[in-house]
Amino acid sequence: MEKLVKEIIARVLNVDLEVITDTLSSGDIPQWDSVGNLAVISTIEQELNIEFPLEVLFDLTSVQSIIDEVIKLIHD
Amino acid sequence: MLCKIAEHAINTPDKVALVEAGHRVTYAQLIAHVESAAGLLMCLRIKQGDRILLMAQKELEFIYLYLACHLMGVVCVVVDSSAPQERLNYIARVVNPVMVFDNRESSDKESDPCRQIDEKRGLAYGCPAVSLSEINRFDESIHPESVPSSIAPTDIADVMFTTGTTGAPKGVCLSHANIAGSASNTIAFIGTNADDIEALALPLSHSFGLGRMRCVLMVGATLVLVNNFANLKSFFSVLEQEHVTGFGMVPAVWQYIKRLSGTRIARFAKQLNYIEIGSAALPVEDKRLLMELFPDTRLCMHYGLTEASRALFTEFHADAANLDSVGRPASSLVDVCVLNDDGRPVADGTDGEICVRGNMVTKSYFLEEDNRDAFFGDWFRTGDWGHRDSNGNIYLTGRKKELINVGGEKVSPAAIEQAICSLGVADCACIAVPDPNGVLGEVPKAFLVAGNERLSFDSLKDGLSRLLPPHEIPVLWEWVDSIPRTASGKIQRLKLK
Repeated sequence: MEKLVKEIIARVLNVDLEVITDTLSSGDIPQWDSVGNLAVISTIEQELNIEFPLEVLFDLTSVQSIIDEVIKLIHD
Repeated sequence: MLCKIAEHAINTPDKVALVEAGHRVTYAQLIAHVESAAGLLMCLRIKQGDRILLMAQKELEFIYLYLACHLMGVVCVVVDSSAPQERLNYIARVVNPVMVFDNRESSDKESDPCRQIDEKRGLAYGCPAVSLSEINRFDESIHPESVPSSIAPTDIADVMFTTGTTGAPKGVCLSHANIAGSASNTIAFIGTNADDIEALALPLSHSFGLGRMRCVLMVGATLVLVNNFANLKSFFSVLEQEHVTGFGMVPAVWQYIKRLSGTRIARFAKQLNYIEIGSAALPVEDKRLLMELFPDTRLCMHYGLTEASRALFTEFHADAANLDSVGRPASSLVDVCVLNDDGRPVADGTDGEICVRGNMVTKSYFLEEDNRDAFFGDWFRTGDWGHRDSNGNIYLTGRKKELINVGGEKVSPAAIEQAICSLGVADCACIAVPDPNGVLGEVPKAFLVAGNERLSFDSLKDGLSRLLPPHEIPVLWEWVDSIPRTASGKIQRLKLK
């Protein structure tokens, strides 16, 4: 799952996979701006058939936090 | 503008001018860095009137070099470093720079910064390239007698490239007087003062962000550099920790803030003296929500273009009865009028083209061919359609220029169409449609006529990602049998929905 989420983020932001490290946060690279962040969130929701609750969107600020939330939603 | 900054360095030398990732630069240090960057320009034999291509970075070094260019009379061509290479190459071909300053690391850290010219890296631009980081390694200040004394207010300070209706970007020449005029108009309207601390999350490659930087430094306030708005948690902590009193945003950012954080930003209402909004339309209901959340904050929205920065202003609380207006002239030095196709004024309430003149309006585009039809006498033609009421408020009703406003970024449909056709589509037309996600305002929709084979939308998007920046790639796609055109071949976009 971790690899899949990273692949989606890399594809949406149009950057190499190795750029998407666990600690990378939104805003750290020019491609991950506000528009890029919305695209990341909506593409993950569509492709993994999940929906991030509104109250967690504010906290999805890093690759790791997104992976953790995806795993939680899929297990729930 | 530099004179004002120099005054702050003398009168309030220890006042913090810039903050980047916790690093603080006082006004005295700022001037020293600018003088050092000017020394580097001299060392590189860049002289008054020369043009340099400056890749905009949200970094201190960019600001030092930008101001140093103004000090030395060097013309800054500020470009977005993330723009497609083809666009950067086009701009370089047009302006013929003597050097490009980018953010790539120099290959040899040991040698003299003046020798850090990378001929190979600059080949694409037809000139040598130097890394912005060299500024940090160069500490020889310029001698006062080396500063040109013949820089006139009407000399070109910046060339900013803006989207052209034909697809090719247009270089807008802005004089020292233009950029200082725009800043002083904006400062006076918004009320920014030396006690303010502003968070700058807007890009410095655009007129809005660059203008905010100039306003803050001109008035002797503090500017806190923030990468962008993507990480709202981080942006909010900057607001809190740095006791920020103002910031600028485009309407798409407001939609983003609402979507990801609801109304949490209202907890900063008491500390925020002002918010400047601009670059695209903001729905009236959002203006009302902002007024509710920020009852004591000046909510200033500008209307303008790179060619005529911050021409009009409105403040939501003061102009609550006219929230659907784009405002009135920013200062007594700015005029606005509504003209018909012959360049004659129309009566109040009658639609025509919005035209402006004033201290911030460009005198010309870089290429003579772009000046054709750009002015009615000394009135700059905005390409926007609208009218004026009897109180002088301006209302927009349409757009004469066929541009798509994607979250504040102006996009030429012609540029998208050229890129799509280059991928093997027989014919195509793009129009603006409302963003289905309700964030960006407008997004491009493409109508396609199949060529020899019908390519998938995914493969077209993939192909376009190598030719266009992400915001220019159409969000909606539709195959059609033909593109409606006039007898002369012009696309009839109004017939497409």
